[in-house]
Amino acid sequence: MASSLRLYLTCIRNTLEAALCLQNFPCQEVERHNKPEVELKTSPELLLNPVLICRNEAEKCLIETSINSLRISLKVKQSDELENILTKKFLRFLSMRAEAFQVLRRKPVQGYDISFLITNYHCEDMQKQKLIEFIVQFMEDIDKEISELKLSVNTRGRLVATEFLKQFI
Amino acid sequence: MACFERVSPALREILTRIHRAERPLEVDHHVHEFGSVHYHVKHSVTDPVYTYLSVSTPLLSSQGLPISSHLPQHTLEMVNGIFPGVMEALVPPNEGYQLTLKLDISRIPRDGKASTKMISDIASVQSALVSTQLKEILRNVESREVGYGIYKPIKLMYHPREPFFVVKQPAKTTAIFPMRFKEKEDVIIATAFFQELMDVGSSEAFRKAPHCIWSPIPPAELRGEPIEDLSTNGGFLSFDITLRHVQGKKLEKTVWSLLNVYTFVKWHVKSSRGFVQRRMRMRLDKLVQPLHDVGNEEGDDHRETRKKTKKVDGGCTNVRKWMRVSKKKILGRNLELGNKMKRIRSRIKIHCFSRLRRKWLRMPKFSPVTRYMKLE
Repeated sequence: MASSLRLYLTCIRNTLEAALCLQNFPCQEVERHNKPEVELKTSPELLLNPVLICRNEAEKCLIETSINSLRISLKVKQSDELENILTKKFLRFLSMRAEAFQVLRRKPVQGYDISFLITNYHCEDMQKQKLIEFIVQFMEDIDKEISELKLSVNTRGRLVATEFLKQFI
Repeated sequence: MACFERVSPALREILTRIHRAERPLEVDHHVHEFGSVHYHVKHSVTDPVYTYLSVSTPLLSSQGLPISSHLPQHTLEMVNGIFPGVMEALVPPNEGYQLTLKLDISRIPRDGKASTKMISDIASVQSALVSTQLKEILRNVESREVGYGIYKPIKLMYHPREPFFVVKQPAKTTAIFPMRFKEKEDVIIATAFFQELMDVGSSEAFRKAPHCIWSPIPPAELRGEPIEDLSTNGGFLSFDITLRHVQGKKLEKTVWSLLNVYTFVKWHVKSSRGFVQRRMRMRLDKLVQPLHDVGNEEGDDHRETRKKTKKVDGGCTNVRKWMRVSKKKILGRNLELGNKMKRIRSRIKIHCFSRLRRKWLRMPKFSPVTRYMKLE
């Protein structure tokens, strides 16, 4: 792993460890309702300052925290058009299957490629440390997968081109 | 408009069935392929010797107009020359078709390999027609130059959306394919493919292959062509065909490859999209796995904790043991306990003691000391 990527992921991990102190908190507006405050943003006193971690202009992570929920939005690097369509296609594919991930948001926050929403219930059901591990692992895997996909598409293209030109020889 | 296989699989199957049949068959099949190729196979019991095969294929048109509605004489001669005695082109062809062939299938040998090869050749007659047209154009390019001016590109099209240009130059002939795609995703995959094609084409191993160039803007050879022909989203793919590529048997291969450029690119784009989709599906399970593991571990932890708690509460063990005893025993125990309690509560009875108590043990009546006397 590149050292800059390691630093970026370590920073995200540390921020998540600090931010994932969630507790049950009923909605202040509607009685007998319990809603993720980071989504509704109805009570400013329940929100913490959002943290933006940038590796570069194209790769960044926004962590928004509230008393009972936390939202992580990721922007994945897209160095060329092929990476761009592969990233969009892949993340859209995952977002459409968000129920499998439990913590994945169906629609990313504007300006980002994918978003997660972790509530206090998720923290109660799953271990906090494991959740953080999952997020960091996910980021690593996405980067790796996009690179591999790009490489595979180019390799396929090369093989097909070779076969096509062989016909003329 | 072409496909990779020269042989029509449906036509080959029908002809094989007619050839192998022990008794004459009544066959009247219409086969449509790739939306624009149409075959009509007719074999009658009343005329068991001959089979009639009619072919309709989109004719190559130049500058938007068909070169001719009927096949030229040398094409018919070429078709007749494939298997003389077995296959003969009828003039005029059946209405609605460009070519009608009279086949004497009984002349095809019964031997396995030879018959299969002959039937395959007959079933690939459409590809032979299409190739012949392009070959004819490539041969007659010089005579057309006089009419249109030197290096004037010739626009050819089998399909309205897939025209291509052939430009005759002193040392080479350039085939230029304007590439158009419906979706942006297709454009990007195709662009990556074109770049690979250029890289592979310029490598040492493929120096004998036609020089291949892709450019996002129209090449200089197409200067002066109508704007609608030059507006593309996938750029322009050019192949420089030299004398080496059209000599002898190579001409056939080159023509077929050029006819297949669009099909090849579209097939690659489609299969690449399928590949990406398959890969994403496979990857999804791996990405979800850590989260499921977290859930499972959590569940295991809960179970272990419960077990430990039970072990600490040793008192419950006796209750469980007691509960394990059969119902009959429990009822027996209850009955015994009830009797005991009755015995404890009941008075001790001695026979005739009550009579004796009434006679001898009469209790004296005491006046209460606390009784108040009325004072007078």
